[in-house]
Amino acid sequence: MAKTIMTIDDSASIRQVVGITLKKAGYEVLEACDGKDALNKLTGQKVHLIVCDVNMPNMDGIAFLKTVKQHPAYKFTPIIMLTTESQEAKKQEGKAAGAKAWVVKPFKPEQMLSAVEKLILP
Amino acid sequence: MTVNVERNNGLYKLAIEGEMTVLTSAELKRHLLYNLENCSKLEIDLSQVSEMDSAGFQLLFLTKREAIYSGKIMRITSHSEATSSVLELYNMHGEVF
Amino acid sequence: MADDPVIQTFMIECTELLQAMEDALLRLEAAPEDEETINALFRSAHTIKGSSGIVGFENIERFTHKVENVLEQVRSGKIKVDNELIELLLKCRDHIANLIELAEKDTPASASDRTAEEGLLRQLQSYLTSTDKQSNTKINDTAPSQLGSNSPNSLNYPHPSSEPSGSGDGVRTFLHGRDVESGNWHISLRFGEDVLRNGMDPISFINYLTRLGEIVSLTTITDAVPPAAEMDPESCYLGFEIDFKSDFDKQTIEDVFEFVREDCKICILPPRSRIEEYIQLINSLPEAPLKIGEILVRGGALTPHELEEALKIQNAEAVYPSPLEGEGQGEGCSQRKSLIGEIVVDEKMTYPPVVDAAVEKQKKQKEAQAREAKTIRVDTNKLDQLVNLVGELVIANANIIQNAQRLGDIDMIESASTLSRLIEDIRDRAMQARMVPIGESFNRFHRVIRDISREMSKDIELAVSGGETELDKNLTEKINDPLMHLVRNAADHGIEKPDVRISKGKPAKGVIRLNAFNDAGSIVIEISDDGSGLNREKIIEKAVEKGLINSEQTLSDKEIYKLIFAPGFSTAENVTNISGRGVGMDVVRKGISSLRGSIDINSQEGLGTTITLRLPLTLAIIEGLLVKIGGEYFVLTLSSVEECVDLTREDIANSHGRHLANVRGQIVPYIRLREQFMIKGSLPDIEQIVIVRVEGQRVGFVVDHVIGEHQTVLKNLGRIYKDIEGISGATILGDGTVALILDVPRLVQSAEREEVRG
Repeated sequence: MAKTIMTIDDSASIRQVVGITLKKAGYEVLEACDGKDALNKLTGQKVHLIVCDVNMPNMDGIAFLKTVKQHPAYKFTPIIMLTTESQEAKKQEGKAAGAKAWVVKPFKPEQMLSAVEKLILP
Repeated sequence: MTVNVERNNGLYKLAIEGEMTVLTSAELKRHLLYNLENCSKLEIDLSQVSEMDSAGFQLLFLTKREAIYSGKIMRITSHSEATSSVLELYNMHGEVF
Repeated sequence: MADDPVIQTFMIECTELLQAMEDALLRLEAAPEDEETINALFRSAHTIKGSSGIVGFENIERFTHKVENVLEQVRSGKIKVDNELIELLLKCRDHIANLIELAEKDTPASASDRTAEEGLLRQLQSYLTSTDKQSNTKINDTAPSQLGSNSPNSLNYPHPSSEPSGSGDGVRTFLHGRDVESGNWHISLRFGEDVLRNGMDPISFINYLTRLGEIVSLTTITDAVPPAAEMDPESCYLGFEIDFKSDFDKQTIEDVFEFVREDCKICILPPRSRIEEYIQLINSLPEAPLKIGEILVRGGALTPHELEEALKIQNAEAVYPSPLEGEGQGEGCSQRKSLIGEIVVDEKMTYPPVVDAAVEKQKKQKEAQAREAKTIRVDTNKLDQLVNLVGELVIANANIIQNAQRLGDIDMIESASTLSRLIEDIRDRAMQARMVPIGESFNRFHRVIRDISREMSKDIELAVSGGETELDKNLTEKINDPLMHLVRNAADHGIEKPDVRISKGKPAKGVIRLNAFNDAGSIVIEISDDGSGLNREKIIEKAVEKGLINSEQTLSDKEIYKLIFAPGFSTAENVTNISGRGVGMDVVRKGISSLRGSIDINSQEGLGTTITLRLPLTLAIIEGLLVKIGGEYFVLTLSSVEECVDLTREDIANSHGRHLANVRGQIVPYIRLREQFMIKGSLPDIEQIVIVRVEGQRVGFVVDHVIGEHQTVLKNLGRIYKDIEGISGATILGDGTVALILDVPRLVQSAEREEVRG
């Protein structure tokens, strides 16, 4: 059974690039446009990995991370945070909250895929 | 995850179903250690395990080690694809289990 | 390139983001310190940068990155927002828009674009350099503590010395420079306790490793698993010694563990590493040297002989510690590198805490986002195709109804009409899917007005209303240019300078209003200003000068105002670069009539001008009047039709050869479509005139029969009909007959020309 990955990004084109890449590699992909949207969509759904942008309106990635880490069903779900080199402070905050996998934007689709595959195989 | 126990005198047969992962590890640890303590021989059926991660593996290892320390026998009677692939990757199939 | 769906999404997204940037910048002008606006601005730039990098437009990414840097400083309060900065950022926004447009067309930037970019980058840089000093100090403040302390996870063992130490140890000298025989990598892993809680599992990394090569041997180290009572089932206690065969380079293999390197002890020894490096490894690991040694031999990393020698040296070093201990020099560097746990120096910098954006403050965006979440983007082409197919369906169904009627089968007729109701419903829904609120188009003008106000030292406010009025997406794109002309005209020619306005007793600030509403199946857009109004005398003077009218003609106000739509007409005394190139209004009129719309002007000298555009809601469906001439069918747009009257032989005789009809005492000029399209055949006794209103004028079209109202989907029938003057399109009737759609304004114009010539 294919593993499910949720991608959270306010940029539709990033969601699309990531989505296409992951689907091609054999994952199921769920999309959300921000933290709030993601939490709404997570209810009851088995998700094996979350790819989450840091900078988003309406509950940013760090706030989402902190919330999801409290959630009994998703607290151990691996999370890849998308960030830019200019977000060092956010990164520190995210690391403290338990986000260990970071992918720096802009990334090539294959970089994203290899980051995902290091954490879960399709 | 569900753990079914069949107790026949000192022989306890545990059948684990579902995921043996970090999410269920606290519960699984209680099951394994409680039954190990009270049995004289523990047989574990893993054939219905859908997913096992390193947390699950560690608990199998821990149970085995505790069994040896306390002079009891612990044996895995059957594996699922999920459990056997982890043991294979960890090169632990032949050694302990 | 533009066919790539990702690129298309990117383009659409950027248009929205650029608009958001512009809106934010304009809001900042009024409230330069509004945090929410600054955040929104930053986010827009940030997303453009990120997306453009990912879709491969590196030039856009590079430039936007610089903009983002400046915005980052603005966000952290290091740069204050002032008008100069807003001006610069608006220019940057425009430049990004330009770059995106170039990317879409796949054309390289021109020399002037590049010069412009360099200029902007220089200006951006000047903001950054002025804040650099501050940030430098910050880095220096924290630097010593990072460099001085090793990560608690790092493996603190002596670094290999490239020179034999002065101790004169014979064994060491003998072994120096010897490489082990193994051609495999050796990877030593001790996972941190938190990895599982962080969602990382050693299984995944080891699995991934198998993609890069072959695991020759793997030993799982379980020594660290504590006694049962103390063991936390969610913690990870595992370690691994792996011998690995791979042709990949060290970086690639190290990168497998990039997400756990901060929390784990990782040592990677390349093939044929020096024996010393193995010695250090053995020393560094928590397990007993002999145990590790055995694992290494078993896995083939070391030969038994190598192990023996290594253990000898290990013992010797315990007695004579290396004098170079602690120095990361020379060879030691490469060794240090392999201790991935240590490469965190750069990431340990401390930054001032960033204020967490309060979620409540983002209510507005929240709502917009919530809406976005419920919508999906659909390529307009797909919708067009859908509408086209629905059109076919309408036609096919009309055919069924005709056949059913011919057969007289009541049940069949009943079914067919049920079907036709459903189809109409589908068509309406499909059309609705293409409708978008006009507000987005309106909002673009805030920037235009702002720029014009500055350039011309005027004080103008743009008041927008009716933004929720919907119209066809295709139409919004096409009305942008005409609207732009009209708004610019209003700002440029309409609104007076503040001193002039005050002297006329008006408020210094002029108002331009954009309003939209639905009216009888059309959308009406009003562009009004409270400026000087049109000057009758000036227009007449100009028109006479241009030979458009002669000075004796008496004209109504409407007729006079209509003159400004003539080609080459402009009354502006100074041709500004905003409007007044004398092509504007002519282009507007053409644009609007090509959309089957009409323009009306109302003006009062001294009080202002209102221009009213009336457009169909959609270009895809025509509400038409079906008429027949000879064997040919034609469709006139229903919205322009006022009435139909009979034209008797007697009327024709009374007009003495001139094409004029008397409709209840009013003289209406008419056009004989039969002549226009050279249709042969005999005339019926009573012809009919369809009276339409074009630009405020009543004109009649003479046809054989008026068949009735006809709603139809426009079909593109290709080139054959393209060049026929007076035809704007075609449609297919239920029985498969083609009906041509009349381009009423064009027909009227050409008739006027005929008349002038005649």
